[in-house]
Amino acid sequence: MINLKVVSPQKVIFEKEVEMAVLPGAEGDFAAMPNHSPFISSLRPGQMAIMSSNKVDESFFVSGGLVMLKEKVCEVLVDQIEPLSDVNSSNYQQSKTYQELEGNETALGTFEQVVNNPPYK
Amino acid sequence: MPNLKELKNRISSVKSTRKITSAMKMVAASKLRRAQELAESSRVYADSLSFILSSLAGNTKNSADLPEILTGRENSKISLLIINSSDRGLCGGFNSNLFRNAKKWISDQQGQGKSVKIMTVGKKASSFYKKTDLDIVASFEDLNSNDRQLQVSEEIKNKIMELFENNEIDEVSILFNKFVSAISQEPTYQSLIPLSNDETSEDESESINAIFEFEPDKNELLEYLVPRNFLTQIYRSVLESSASEHAARMTSMDNATRNAGDMIDRLTLTYNRTRQAFITKELIEIISGAEAV
Repeated sequence: MINLKVVSPQKVIFEKEVEMAVLPGAEGDFAAMPNHSPFISSLRPGQMAIMSSNKVDESFFVSGGLVMLKEKVCEVLVDQIEPLSDVNSSNYQQSKTYQELEGNETALGTFEQVVNNPPYK
Repeated sequence: MPNLKELKNRISSVKSTRKITSAMKMVAASKLRRAQELAESSRVYADSLSFILSSLAGNTKNSADLPEILTGRENSKISLLIINSSDRGLCGGFNSNLFRNAKKWISDQQGQGKSVKIMTVGKKASSFYKKTDLDIVASFEDLNSNDRQLQVSEEIKNKIMELFENNEIDEVSILFNKFVSAISQEPTYQSLIPLSNDETSEDESESINAIFEFEPDKNELLEYLVPRNFLTQIYRSVLESSASEHAARMTSMDNATRNAGDMIDRLTLTYNRTRQAFITKELIEIISGAEAV
C-alpha cells in the first residue's frame, strides 16, 4: 500500500492508503505504487485514478499540479480537483472546477473528455 | 453639579458602545478560529512546494543556471514592497505598527541607493500610502472571503512577474503581520525575489536532491514551480495577515469592552452621588422651610 496525499493550496483534500494511483504526468501517465524510485513530476490536466486489483475505485479530474513520489508516500499538489462521481456529461459545466478553469481551453477540453470517456474505467 | 439627565444619557451611550465592542470581539474570535484553520491547512501545500523547489534548486550546482527570477539580479536597483494591511480599522496597533516598520525598511533601502516601489493590500494601506510620495504600483482591496484572498494573491503574482520581466523591479519583499499567538503579532518580511530558502538548511537539501528524478526536465519544472511558489507564498502571507488582524481586533475590542465597563462603573457612581445630593438638598429645603414656619 502507498500513502496517497492529495493537497490543494487551501487544504488537504484527502490522505489514505491505496494499492495504486494512476496520475497524468507531464510526459505520460504513470502509476504510483510502493517502492517507486524517488520522482518529481508536474501534472497535465487529466484523470487521476485510484485502483485496486485492476479496478478503478475512485476517479478524479485534476487540472494540473505537481507530484512527489518517495518510497511509500505519494504527495500530489493539485491546482483544481473534481471527483468524477459527482459530475456527469450533463452537469459538469456547473461544477466549481469548470468555472475556475474558465478561459483555459486545453484544460476544459480535457475535463470534458475525462467526464465523457475517462481513460481508466 | 452634573446634570442627572446628562449623566443618564452618557451611561446609556457607553452601555451601547460596550455592547458593540463586545459583539465585535465575539465576531473577531470566531473569525480568528476560521482564519487560523485556513492558515494551518494551507501550510501543508506550501511546505511540500518549498521542499520540491529547494530540492530542485539545490540540485543545480551552478547557480548561474537558475533563472534570474529565483536568484535575483545583480546590482538590483529597484525594490518592491508588498504591504499586507487590513480593510477595516478598530484593530489596535495592527496597521500603524506595520506602517512604522515599513517606513524604516524603506529608508534603509533608500540608504543603500535603491528606489522603492509599493504594492498595497487592504484599504488601510492604500489610503495611508496615497498621502506619501512613494510610487504605488498597484492596490488591492476587499479581501473579505477566502476565494477573494486566493484571487488577489493570483493577481499580485501576475503583477510582480510582469513587472520583473519588464525590468521595472529587481527585488520583491512582502511585509505582513505574522500570527504568533492571539495576543502577539509580529511584522515580518519575506523576500520573494531573490528566493529566500532559510527553511531548509544546506546539507538537508543536499541529501534530498541526490535521489530524485525529475520529469519533465528541471528547467521546465522550474518554469511551472516559480510562479506557483510565488502564489503560495503570497497567499500564505495574506492568510497569516488575516489571522493576525482578527487576533488584533479581538484583543483591542476586549480592552475596549473592559474600559467601557470601568467607565460605566465610574459614571454610575457619580450618578448615584448626584442623585443622593439632590435628595439631601431637597430634604434640607423642606426641613428648613418647616422650621421657618
